[in-house]
Order: sequence, then C-alpha cells, then structure tokens
Amino acid sequence: MVVRLLFAFLLLLSSHGLAADPPVRVGVLAYRGEEHAAAVWEPTIRYLGDHFPGRGAEMVALDLAGMDAAVQNRTVDLILTNTGNYVDLEARYGVTRIATLQSGRSSGNAIGSAIIVRADRRDLKDLRDLRGRTLMAIDPDAFGGFQVAWGELLDAGVDPFRDLKDLRFSGFPVDRVAFAVRDGTADAGVLRACVLEELAAEGRIDPADFRVLGSRSAPDFACAHSTDLYPDWPLARLAGTPEELAKQAVVALFQMPPDHPAAKAGGYQGWAVPRDYQPVHALFRSLRIGPYRSLRDVSLVDLARENWHWLALAALALLWWTIHSLRVEHLIKVRTAELRAANRDLVREMAERRRAEENARERQREIDHVARLSILGEMASNLAHELNQPLGAIANYARGCTRRLEAGTGRPAELADATRAIADQADRAAHIIARIRNFVRKRAPQIEPVDINDAVRAAAALCADRARSAGIAVTLDLADGLPRVAADAVQIEQVVLNLMKNGLDAMEGCLPADGITVRTGLDGEGRVRVMVADRGHGLSAEARERLFDPFFTTKPEGMGLGLSICRTILESHGGHLWAADNPGGGVEIRFVLPAVQENPTHES
Amino acid sequence: MSHDAESSAPPRTVYVVDDDPAMRHSLGWLIGSLGLEVQGFASAEEFLRALKPDRPGCLVTDVRMPGMSGLELQDTLARAGSLLSVVVVTGHADVPMAVRALRAGAVDFIEKPFNDQLLLDRVHEALEKSRRAWEAAERKRAVRALIGRLTPRERQVAALVVAGKPNKVIAAEINLSMKTVEVHRHNVMDKLEVASVADLTRLLLEAE
Repeated sequence: MVVRLLFAFLLLLSSHGLAADPPVRVGVLAYRGEEHAAAVWEPTIRYLGDHFPGRGAEMVALDLAGMDAAVQNRTVDLILTNTGNYVDLEARYGVTRIATLQSGRSSGNAIGSAIIVRADRRDLKDLRDLRGRTLMAIDPDAFGGFQVAWGELLDAGVDPFRDLKDLRFSGFPVDRVAFAVRDGTADAGVLRACVLEELAAEGRIDPADFRVLGSRSAPDFACAHSTDLYPDWPLARLAGTPEELAKQAVVALFQMPPDHPAAKAGGYQGWAVPRDYQPVHALFRSLRIGPYRSLRDVSLVDLARENWHWLALAALALLWWTIHSLRVEHLIKVRTAELRAANRDLVREMAERRRAEENARERQREIDHVARLSILGEMASNLAHELNQPLGAIANYARGCTRRLEAGTGRPAELADATRAIADQADRAAHIIARIRNFVRKRAPQIEPVDINDAVRAAAALCADRARSAGIAVTLDLADGLPRVAADAVQIEQVVLNLMKNGLDAMEGCLPADGITVRTGLDGEGRVRVMVADRGHGLSAEARERLFDPFFTTKPEGMGLGLSICRTILESHGGHLWAADNPGGGVEIRFVLPAVQENPTHES
Repeated sequence: MSHDAESSAPPRTVYVVDDDPAMRHSLGWLIGSLGLEVQGFASAEEFLRALKPDRPGCLVTDVRMPGMSGLELQDTLARAGSLLSVVVVTGHADVPMAVRALRAGAVDFIEKPFNDQLLLDRVHEALEKSRRAWEAAERKRAVRALIGRLTPRERQVAALVVAGKPNKVIAAEINLSMKTVEVHRHNVMDKLEVASVADLTRLLLEAE
C-alpha cells in the first residue's frame, strides 16, 4: 500500500515534473482527412506516448502542405508519412527515417501499383497498349498508385500526360477506379497493389472481372502488381529531434507485438529497421517530381504560365535589346566601314600628296632648268659671240703663224708667243663652255657655303658680251670679307644673271649714261645683301604690282617667269627679294640671304 | 722737208681698234704677217686721241664697243676728212649696219669668223685706196701751193681764161687793157707751169 502510494506519488511527481515538458508531437499525413487518419494512427501514437514517460505523445494530422510547413518550422518532433512525401522531405529538410512500416502483405517492400483493365479487353495486352486510351487513377500525389504506375508507364514508352487519350483522377474511395474500369468508363485504372484483393475480399467486386496488365511476381508478395515494389511508410525524425527521443521511439516501435491494437488499427504487422529509399529517389528523378521537380520541363512551363506577364515583359525587353544590339552592331559595322573607307581615302590622299609634292619639286627643278635655258637662249647670240672671240683670235694667231712660216719671216720667239696665245684662247673658250654647261646642267640643288661675290662675277661674265655689245657699262661694287651664304651656287648665279639681264633689257634703247651696278654688302641684320640697279625706263604702277607674278612680262619675247622663279629660289634659301626705284632713275632689285654661321678659326 | 719725205713714202700702217685684247692682238699678228706696221687701240676714243686725222692708212675696227662704236668712229673720221680707209669687222652683223658702213665709205664689212685671205686682201685694198687718197690730197696741196703764188689779179684773169673767155672780153670785163691782160695770162701760165689752157683748166679743177 505504502509502496503503491509511493509509486503513485512518484508517478504523480514525475508526471507532474515531466508534465512541464510538452508532449512529443508526431505529424501524421492525413491523406484522407483527419478523421480517417485519427482512426488509423491514433492508437499507434498513443502507444508511442506510453513510451515517453511523463511526456506522452500528441498526433498532429497534416495534409501535404501542412506537413511541409510543420517540418520547415519544426513544430513537430517526428513524422509519419507516405514514402513519396518522406523522400521529398528528406531531400529538402534533412529528415531521417528511423523505422519502416511492416505491412502484413510482405516482409520486404510492399508498395507498388496494379494497372487493371476489364478481363474481357483482349485488345489491351500490355502497358504499351494503353497509348491513346483512357486511364483513371485516384490521386496524382499518391505514391503507391499513380506515381509508381507513372514510372512504369514511362519505362514502357507511354507518357501518361501525353500519350493517353484521357487521364482522370477519381479521388477516394478507391473503388471508384475499379467501378469505372468494370463499367467501361475508363479503359484502365491504377490502384495501389493489394487494393484489388482487399476490395474482392470485402465482396465489393468480382476479381474475375479484372485483369492486371504486365503483372509480375515478387517473393513474399501475394498481391498482383504491374510495377516494381518500394518500401512502405517510414517514421522519421527531424534534423533537430534529440537522439534520445528518436531512440526511445524506435525501441518502442520495434517492441510492438503484431497483435497490438495499434497495429491492427493501422493495418500493419509492426515496424522494422528503416529500408533503402534510394529506388524511390530514382523513380522521382525519372518522373522529375518531389525533390526533383526542378528537373521537370512541365514545371518550367508552369512557371512560365504563372509569370507570363513578366516573361512577356522580359521577352519584350529581350526583343528590344536584340533589336537594339543588332542596330548598334549594324551602326558599328557601318561606321567602321566608313572609318575604314575614310582611312583608306586618307592613306591614298597622303600618298597622292607626297607624289604631288615630289612632282612639284621635280617640276620646280624643271622650271629652274627651263628658266636657265631660257635666259641663256635669250642670250644665245651674245654667248656665241663671246665664244667667237677666243675662237677668232685662235684662228688669227694660227694663220699669222702659218704665213710667217711659209714666208720664212717668223722669228722663233714671236712664234712661240703666238702659240702660247693660242693655248690661252683655247683655255678661255673652254672656260666659257664650262660656265655655260655648268649653268644649264639639270641637277638637284646642292647647298653649300657660297661666296656671293663669286656668283655675281660668274653671272656678270655670262652677260658681259651682251652688255658690251649694247654699249652698257656694268659696274661691280663688291664688298670684301662678306660671310658666305648657304646656297646652291648655280641657282644664286641664275638669280643674279636674271636680274642683270632684266636691267640690260630695261636699258635697251636708252642713252647708256651709268649702266648697271651690282653691289654686295651686309644689311643691318647681318644678312648678305645684293642690289642690282639699272638706269632703264623704270616700272609702271601695274608692273610694280605684278612684278613677281608668274607669266607677267613687259617684254614681247619674255616668258614672265624670271622674277617669279628668282623669288621662289631665294625664298627656298630663306632669303627675300624685292624691288625699289633707283633714286637716279630706273629700278633697283634687291635681295638678302642669311649668312652661314662660320667659325672664324676654321678659316684661318 | 718732211712734207717731201711723206710724199715719197706714204705710210702703210694698219690700225686695229677692238676692245677685246686677244682679238686685237691676234688681228695685229695676222696682219703683221704681211710685213705691215700694225698699231692696236682698245677703244675708238683712244685711237682718236692718238692719231691725226690726215694720216693715211688702214683702219680695222670692231663695231660694238663700250663708248664710241666702230660706225661712229667711221663717221667722225669722215667728218674730219681723214685719209684712212676703213675695214669694219664684227661678230654682230646685220644688214642696216652693213649698209650704213658701206655708205660711209668702208672698204668692206667683214663678219667674224672671217677668211684671213679676204681680210688681208681688204687691208691691201684699203691701203691702196688710202694711198691714192693721200696722193690726191698731196697733189691738191701742191696745186694749191702753185695757185698761192698768183696775185689776186692773176687769179681773176686765170678764172676768166678757164671760163673760156678771149683776152678782149676779159679786158673789157675787168676794165684793163688787152696788153695788161696778156701779161697776167702769161704770168699765170708761167707760175702754174702749164703750157695750154687745157692744162690750166685741169689743174684748177684738181684744186677744187
């Protein structure tokens, strides 16, 4: 009595003490409603609760969505759910099976499907014959039932969602499917394996009316089935459920006797160690459902269907972007082509310009050359006369010698003088020819230090005969010790000759009072200055203005290039040419050239 | 008497005027081969300064020279009554120039380059011409010297005699007696060393 009291007290105490702990919550999938679930599973939960001393257990009936939320929010400690749902939750939340239900039908896997047809349908021999037929199942989410049959049909090459004439889901009770097949409203039906046998046992159907398509046999499994077999429902713990609690639950379930009222209510024989659920994963992967839903094309289509406006917007944006990109690309191509064309043009233009410049230089050389030829041409008779002087003298000396020798009157000393004179005149002639040839030779300009007085003397020599024959005196007033200029000697000679010739032309027909004066010197800036002054007619206002224009001339036979070329030559030497009136009448043409900076010690 | 010496041997000098020394000298050398005396001058002015215009001889001159040209020199000499004969030598010949030179009495107008024989022939010709001119001049001077011996009255009578008038008419014209006229006429013939009226006439014409 005391002991019993004490035990009761302790029990009370402990239960009171443990009552502070909430009861273990067991989530149960109520696929046919809470009432059905309570009827089937309440005893089992109670049995478990008896094994959590002072704590007890509480059943929480959940539909699929509720089960998902409960696991995610950890409002339950253990879950009892169907094979398919378990695999889904295992993959997504890490729940772990701790025991698998052991049905009375098999000691091994017991979940499969039977695909039934009317027994008299001779046209339906195997699963492939279901193509284009009507198929009825109970629920698309039922694992034992539609989902397993679905996998089998796919293996047979029949996609129930695509290849069938119609796929219908009847919902519970399960006999609807059997009746529909029997009555011919569906060509075939999907039932969980053993349902057909159960219905027959209950006397609700006549098994002779039905035939199971693709029926196969499995050891230890009595029911007709068309598919592989998969493990039954598991009891699973959440990731955060204490190990001790899980262990207690497993120990309790394993110890449940087969005839326990809970087992009877649940329609099972007991619980066994958890089975391998990998084949379920494989099936789901091939069906692309459960944790592998993301693999389903259909889900993408669904997603698209749900978010069509976003997709449409995205498509529009994509379209716009594509058009924009194409347009930009096109523009870039066009611009690039334009740029390339412009670049090509530029390169060609540069080449042309270089060619043109080279041509211009060549032409300038030609013009220089022609101008020199032209000057000499205008003075040709004078030059011929100048050359005739030594030649005539040579002839005279030679004939004088001949006559003396023939007459025997020549004294050797005077004959020697004459032949020496002949040689001198031959030198003189050669000198004149060399001067002319040097002047007219076509050549590239050679810039070197030039004594301006040498150039003036050479020019004066070329026009000396002309001046002499016209009776015009030429006065050279050349300063000593001038610095040299960096110039082409022939070109400078050409300039001076041109200016002197212009002076001679200007004085043609005038009374030669003073003649032409050429004066060299230094200007205030240290440049070498040359002045050619004549006492001719002077310049008209128009002539003064256009003096340096090409092809402007006051002479009937002139080309009008002389001064223009002189100016070009001088400017190319960094010099400058201009005209002024000679205070005594006539014209003064002056030019300056920069002096060469020479090191005086060099010269000494 | 220097006058007589000149008349006996008229100088055969050739004067060369050319501004080109080589040409001038070589011309001298060539002409000198004839054994003639040659003098060279660099300009017309120099030549005029050096020479009396009545000297006979040959002038060989260039045309174009600084200062006075050859043609101007020729003109100047002609105006001065020079006895020189001129040969013009030029490298710049043109027709008007040649015409002008020849009209002014040049022996020839020779263009350079020239044939030496042609030049020497022309020089000879010129010397000959000059000699003749000199001789003519000499003779005129001699005649004038004879005429200078006549008295004014004798000159008057001589002029009338040459005009072909008889003594009687002359006497009447100058109001003298026939006798006096005859004396003057005899004196004239005597002084001028002529024997006939025809000779007298030719002599007086030479002095014109």
